[in-house]
Amino acid sequence: MIDVDHLRKTFGDLTAVDGVTFAAQPGEIFGLLGPNGAGKTTTIGCISGLLTPTSGRVRVMGRDVVNEGQAARRLLGVAPQEIALYEDLSALENLQYWGGVQGMRNPLLRDRVRKVLELTGLQDRAREPVKRFSGGMKRRLNFACGIVHAPRVLLLDEPTAGVDPQSRVHLLDLVREQARAGACVLYTTHYMEEAEALCDRLAIMDHGRVIAAGTLAELRSLLGERDLLRLTGVFPPAAARAALTGIDQIEVVQAEEGLLMLSLAEAARKLPSVFSALASCGADVRGATLTQPSLESLFIKLTGKELRE
Amino acid sequence: MRLVWISALKDLKALRRDPFSILFWMGIPLCMGLLIHLVFGGSEVTPQGKLLIADQDNTIASKLLTGAFSQPPLSKMLVTETVDPAAGLDRIGHGEASAYLLIPRGLQAAFLRNQPFRLQLYTNPEQRILPNIVEQSLSMMVDASFYLQKSAGGLWRGLDVPTAPDAQSLSRMSLGLFQRAEALGKYIYPPLIRFEVETIQEKRQNPNVAALFFPAMVFMTMLLMANGLSGEIWRERLLGTARRLATTPGSFAAFLGGRVIVVVLVYSLVASVGVAATRWLGGPQEGHLPAAAAWATLTGTVFYLLLLPLSLHASSERGADVMGNLLVFPLSLIGGCFFPFEMMPHWMAAIGRLTPNGWAVTQFRAILSGSAEPAKLAVGSACLMAAGAAAFLLSVRRLRGVFLA
Repeated sequence: MIDVDHLRKTFGDLTAVDGVTFAAQPGEIFGLLGPNGAGKTTTIGCISGLLTPTSGRVRVMGRDVVNEGQAARRLLGVAPQEIALYEDLSALENLQYWGGVQGMRNPLLRDRVRKVLELTGLQDRAREPVKRFSGGMKRRLNFACGIVHAPRVLLLDEPTAGVDPQSRVHLLDLVREQARAGACVLYTTHYMEEAEALCDRLAIMDHGRVIAAGTLAELRSLLGERDLLRLTGVFPPAAARAALTGIDQIEVVQAEEGLLMLSLAEAARKLPSVFSALASCGADVRGATLTQPSLESLFIKLTGKELRE
Repeated sequence: MRLVWISALKDLKALRRDPFSILFWMGIPLCMGLLIHLVFGGSEVTPQGKLLIADQDNTIASKLLTGAFSQPPLSKMLVTETVDPAAGLDRIGHGEASAYLLIPRGLQAAFLRNQPFRLQLYTNPEQRILPNIVEQSLSMMVDASFYLQKSAGGLWRGLDVPTAPDAQSLSRMSLGLFQRAEALGKYIYPPLIRFEVETIQEKRQNPNVAALFFPAMVFMTMLLMANGLSGEIWRERLLGTARRLATTPGSFAAFLGGRVIVVVLVYSLVASVGVAATRWLGGPQEGHLPAAAAWATLTGTVFYLLLLPLSLHASSERGADVMGNLLVFPLSLIGGCFFPFEMMPHWMAAIGRLTPNGWAVTQFRAILSGSAEPAKLAVGSACLMAAGAAAFLLSVRRLRGVFLA
């Protein structure tokens, strides 16, 4: 398992990770969700031993990553966000090298390499130099190098970034397979739908902090089954807030000159009342988007802003 | 240790897929050797200069003097050209000759009357060797004329007439010179005891210009390789593989150790080709070649290790390249890796021999010529290996600490 306890990492004056605490169990896919710059990659860096935490503690299967670094790293498999492969070598040679670095020896290494090549669908191109691969194939190989030694803990840092839809589905299946085999998977992403489809539990991060954590159901319950109504146009903020107070179970999440975000139950039924109230205060509604309860709407509710790319 | 081997194997596989990089390194000394061979013909070449002569005296004595420069061995080094005084002064002023000799009117008369006389020699300050040869040769001729005057001065006076001497005077002079030569014969003819010197050791070929240049070229290649190979560490950063390695139990020391093994192999290959080319150009005996190749490999590897921390301290790949070039090119120029020390001013050669590559080139040439001292080489090798080990540890520390950030 991964046990992160009050992890803090600073770079000079910048606090990239600020008191993050969570635990992920074997056989579980634990998602770290958040926009770019939220601190997900820094958290992964501290767990993998790439970065030294400023304070706090990280344990991998009970091994402290600072004091027992090498022992902890033996249990880890990492698929970094940037593709990290030797482009002049073939897929087979890359897998043999990274497996060897992890301490594997033949014939186990040979068997495992063959199996991973099959899993990732690269067996037919195994002897080709990686520089001839497409982006999706490189992503799959990048993932394969992280699992070649069958790690007990798998850290996946946005493994589907820039991948075509077909390869994404393939990769997500591979991740599920690792968890089914008993690995503890920590998965970072900024794709809400990916996190919803894949993760057993989630921690939502923003500005280096965990702002919400739990299962998908637990997180959804925070929204109280409310819909999110996003209106664009011209709004006098104070007047709009005042005009909407008469509507039952409505909450103004964000009110600006050109944008109004409302959280409300049974939004579809209440739309006429909302438009009528806004018209009475002189607002000019030009666009409306209604979103069902989701991680996206939860993130907006928690932070008052949309998830940034 | 296994990780060292895995890392080396990985780099060897990458090299196998990109054989042009090795061929490129091997091509540098080969191309240089070929060019030098074509330019200098692989044979002994004597530099040739021009001596301008303005003979205002125009007598037998002045003709004897100027004629001496047209005799071997001076004629192999100098081409003489007769000019008028104004043109001679103008041309030497423009650096068009190695030296300009002005023989004013009255040389023969002064010689015959045993009076002081002044010759004027102008030398080209942009040249070093040939003007010096002219000056030394002229000085020797003046000395010879002094002794000739002392030994037979009275006999020459028959020539000191406004018109050509008559037959009677010439007969008297010839007889007198013959008798004087007979009297001096016991001093100037070969002595009765004759020494015969027999050279037992194998005759060694005189090094030609190509062989003089080529060791320098081999070491310039070694330095350029060190710069290029040390910069390759940046590829590991750009590919993200160095960061990935940091998340594994594999150590950076083993990773770099593997690279060093491959660097040694590449250097030994290039050094072997370079040393073989030196032999082809008429350089050393075959028995010295393995030691020379081993020395070039060792020093090349240490150059690589010394440049590695520098490369790792740069802020970018380009920065590493610029820093490496800023170090390598001046060192090549002053350290005898571009021009042989023999072609440098003495003070520059003295400084150059103190540079790491200058010292290595000097030892390399000593090995090639068979004059290297084994004890000195052993101490030097130990120092090189210690410096390389220190640079290696520094690089590992740097790689782990900052290069990944």
